[in-house]
Amino acid sequence: MKRILRNMDWWLLFAVLILMGCGLGLIDSATHSFAVSTGKSWHFSRQSTFMLIALVLAMCTLRFDYRILKNYATPFYIFNVLILIAVMLFGHTQLGAQRWIQIGGFTVQPSEFAKVFLIICLAAFMEKRIEWLEDFKDYIPVFIYIFIPFVLVLKQPDLGTSLTFMAILLGMIFVSGFKIRWFVWCTTLMVSLMPLMWKFVLKDYQKNRIRVFLNPELDPYGSGYHVIQSKIAIGSGGLFGKGWLEGTQSQLNFLPENHTDFIFAVVGEEFGFIGAAFIILMYFIIIWRGITIALNAEDDFGTLLAVGVTSMFMFHIMVNIGMTIGIMPVTGVPLPFLSYGVSSLLTNTMLIALLLNIRVSDQKLQF
Amino acid sequence: MLNKRNMARLYAMFWLCFFLFVVLLGRMAYMQLWRGDYYAKQADGNRLRQSRILAPRGMIYDCNGKELVNNLPGYAVALQKQSEYDKEMLKRLSVLIDIPLEKIEKKIKDNEYYSEPVVLKANISPELVTKIEEQRRDLPDVILQVQPIRNYMHNTLAVHALGYVGEVSSYEIENGLYKDVPQGSIVGKSGLEKTYDKVLRGEDGVLMEEVDVAGNVVQHYDTVDPVQGKSLKLTIDYDLQYKLEKFIDQHLEYLRKTKLAPKARAAAVVALDPRNGAVKAIISRPDYNPNLFVNGISTKDWNAINNDPNFPLNNKAINGEYPPGSTFKIVTGSAAFELNKVQLNELIYDGGFHPLVPTMGNAGGEVLGWLSFIKGLAMSDNVYFYELGYRVGIDAIAKYARIYGFGELTGIDIEGESSGLVASKQVKMDIWNEGWRLGDTFNAAIGQGFNLSTPLQLAVMLSCVANGGIKHQPYLVDEYLDPDGTVFGKPERKESRHIDVSQRTIDYMRDGMSATTEAGGTAAYFSSLPKKVAGKTGTAENPHGRDHGLFVAYGPVEDPELVVVAIVEQGGYGSSSAGPIVYEAFEEFFRSQGLLPPEPTKEELEAMARVEAAAKALAEKTERMKREALADKKAQEALKKAKAEAEAELKKEVATKKADEDKKKKSKSEKKKKAKKKKDENKED
Repeated sequence: MKRILRNMDWWLLFAVLILMGCGLGLIDSATHSFAVSTGKSWHFSRQSTFMLIALVLAMCTLRFDYRILKNYATPFYIFNVLILIAVMLFGHTQLGAQRWIQIGGFTVQPSEFAKVFLIICLAAFMEKRIEWLEDFKDYIPVFIYIFIPFVLVLKQPDLGTSLTFMAILLGMIFVSGFKIRWFVWCTTLMVSLMPLMWKFVLKDYQKNRIRVFLNPELDPYGSGYHVIQSKIAIGSGGLFGKGWLEGTQSQLNFLPENHTDFIFAVVGEEFGFIGAAFIILMYFIIIWRGITIALNAEDDFGTLLAVGVTSMFMFHIMVNIGMTIGIMPVTGVPLPFLSYGVSSLLTNTMLIALLLNIRVSDQKLQF
Repeated sequence: MLNKRNMARLYAMFWLCFFLFVVLLGRMAYMQLWRGDYYAKQADGNRLRQSRILAPRGMIYDCNGKELVNNLPGYAVALQKQSEYDKEMLKRLSVLIDIPLEKIEKKIKDNEYYSEPVVLKANISPELVTKIEEQRRDLPDVILQVQPIRNYMHNTLAVHALGYVGEVSSYEIENGLYKDVPQGSIVGKSGLEKTYDKVLRGEDGVLMEEVDVAGNVVQHYDTVDPVQGKSLKLTIDYDLQYKLEKFIDQHLEYLRKTKLAPKARAAAVVALDPRNGAVKAIISRPDYNPNLFVNGISTKDWNAINNDPNFPLNNKAINGEYPPGSTFKIVTGSAAFELNKVQLNELIYDGGFHPLVPTMGNAGGEVLGWLSFIKGLAMSDNVYFYELGYRVGIDAIAKYARIYGFGELTGIDIEGESSGLVASKQVKMDIWNEGWRLGDTFNAAIGQGFNLSTPLQLAVMLSCVANGGIKHQPYLVDEYLDPDGTVFGKPERKESRHIDVSQRTIDYMRDGMSATTEAGGTAAYFSSLPKKVAGKTGTAENPHGRDHGLFVAYGPVEDPELVVVAIVEQGGYGSSSAGPIVYEAFEEFFRSQGLLPPEPTKEELEAMARVEAAAKALAEKTERMKREALADKKAQEALKKAKAEAEAELKKEVATKKADEDKKKKSKSEKKKKAKKKKDENKED
């Protein structure tokens, strides 16, 4: 316990706790009209309950050394793949995608937890091969390793999570020394494969999202509606915002999905540039601490884990906020700690716990 | 173990992330600080629903402040302005308000370039208001506008002056008649409502409400109150207008019933004040009810009006063109005196026809012998005026016709006036492509043939005669009033000016017209009015049926205050068809001045009937009692006896009284004598 407190990354911990607190306030605001009409603040109480559960769980995991996870990489991997297959078979459909699975009284989103498993498995898988990762062909097993869960998630279809997998992979191979020119090749290859992807891989609604991302006015009442309303919400917030519960866009329901994917628009509208900048600063602290932890990790497994976690957060933050301000296409990626969603909250808390674990397991006692 | 290069990669990763965060912040700053106002406006556009509060139109009053036109409260259904509407909702609405979907869609399309709500149906029933309120959730874009409904309080009264209102058409908006008027507005369609639309309309207000995405009102945001239009105070006198309209309807019915003029259905009357041109009454028959137009007229009502062969919509007082007939003899006479072609006492012989054109004579073949001007005008002799026409020529007749205002618009402040026609050589050439003949001059001299004039033009001509030669622009609107009744302004009018006719000539015309209503004139019955009224009959030839009857008059002759012109289409002789209408007008006018006893009111008439009935009952009762008394002879005798006794007693009493009085008188005279004596004695002292 002493060791945990001594090595605790207070910056990271407080940034996360502050974000969680903000998240509760924002969910309360975003679901205010719903709560008023039903008389129950269902979202708020559910989110806060699970927040407590997640924090307790996270504290518990700190007692174990993260290095034991290495030993479970293969079972995790198999479990992960099986779960994703289960979703395909038994999952129920929501919002046009098969992402949810019923376990007991809860619906969970296995692709959220798949991110945790993937980061652990991939870190373990690469750590074993880290000395050999010299040539491009050395990376091919890594690609194959990640390809199976990637395709399974993509098939759900959950473009957001599958792209998250890519981001995690990208971060890890970048740090492990993947050559810049290989990145260029891969990018070139991807771009040249785009027309084929467009034709055979992407679903109609995904194509439409990309089209509308390029020109939201194409469909102001359909898929472009979200982005237009979100931009109006954020823009109209100005410097100081309209005040908590005072955002007309979100309170009058012009902004759909405002408690989940578009919660950042509530920040922009109700707390203005100052509030948004503060939230962005908190996220920056997470990323900064994540990379610092990666730098100071005692072993490669720790570094790779930290990089994977940081990459995932970075991807979520950029894609989600970018989406609300119209510089990224609409993908179903939640904003960590702010968006309503129990699965995502548990996942993110576990990942932060993982980062803290790497930090507190540090025997060198630096910084 | 990861090497140095990997550490460098981590630093690179940090700076890359840092850069991306800066991009995010930059974008936020751009949207929230630089473009904040733009988005704020968009957000307001989302949440704020603007609806128009229609301004009530100004009221219209008669010259004594009596209300003629006001507004009643009502509701209109409108669609909130949007670029797209839910088709299902429109369908539901279409059924609810009973307007075909295509019509609704057309209205939406017409309104495409305006930010105002699309008004679909005005003045809906209270039941429909409730129904729409109940279905609020299914009809998010529908709004209920409070809409003042124009109300013509006396229905058909003075309809041709007042006109009516209706919803502005897309044609009117596009063609600039009502260019800046938003779709769905109520504007004047005819009459004063149209001429003074800008004054009457007022400024609409705006109601801003905060709504949620489903269109439910969350809270009130702001209100800009509407400003009511200015009211009009007219020159029309309600009492005169009302009495005349009532009389005309009775009179036309009388003419038709008695077969004096079986087709007399159309008529026009103008009454104006010759001292300033103020129109006191203006009537056209047949009429229509302007209230029918206010909410969009039904096809049935429209067909009834539109298919009437006598054109109820036409204001015949200003746009009916009739040959002026004998009333035109004033023009011919004026020309003759002004050009010194005749002397007042010069006698001209009427042998039943004019020697130069023997086919043209008097109506009914009369032969009136030697005539002076006064007699010629009073008896409306055609041959006399043929001769005057022959002496002055058509050009001079046309010149004086124009001087009196024929052939030009009078400038009255209601739209749709006709200018009529002045007979001239050119006119005949244009119409028939034929040369002018003496017979045409003769026709023109007595107001037939090519001459055409409106009743209002005749009234203007007569005003010139009545007021000694000043031509005023006739007008209906005296003042603009603020809603609280204070005078806001006055409409501009053409300056009045003296016409180029000498006072001497005008005096002759007045003498001739005075003689018309005296014994021996064509309208001698006017002499029964309390003050002298001068007039002139006229009969306008009508090739399509019976002649139109005309009568023009002014009075009182010493100081004229009223000019009345009446025409009855297919009414035959002016003195019997139009004359009584003019007579009625003067009777009402003199009555209003207290020169005639007021007409008994309804209550008075009822009271009189009650008194009569009571008197009758009393008479019957006494009769019965008499009979009963006769039956009882004894009683009768006793009565006689008693009567005799009573009489005897009375006589006695009278006798004693007389004796007493005589005594008193005597004593009085004695006293006087004594007093005199005393006085005399005193004198002697």
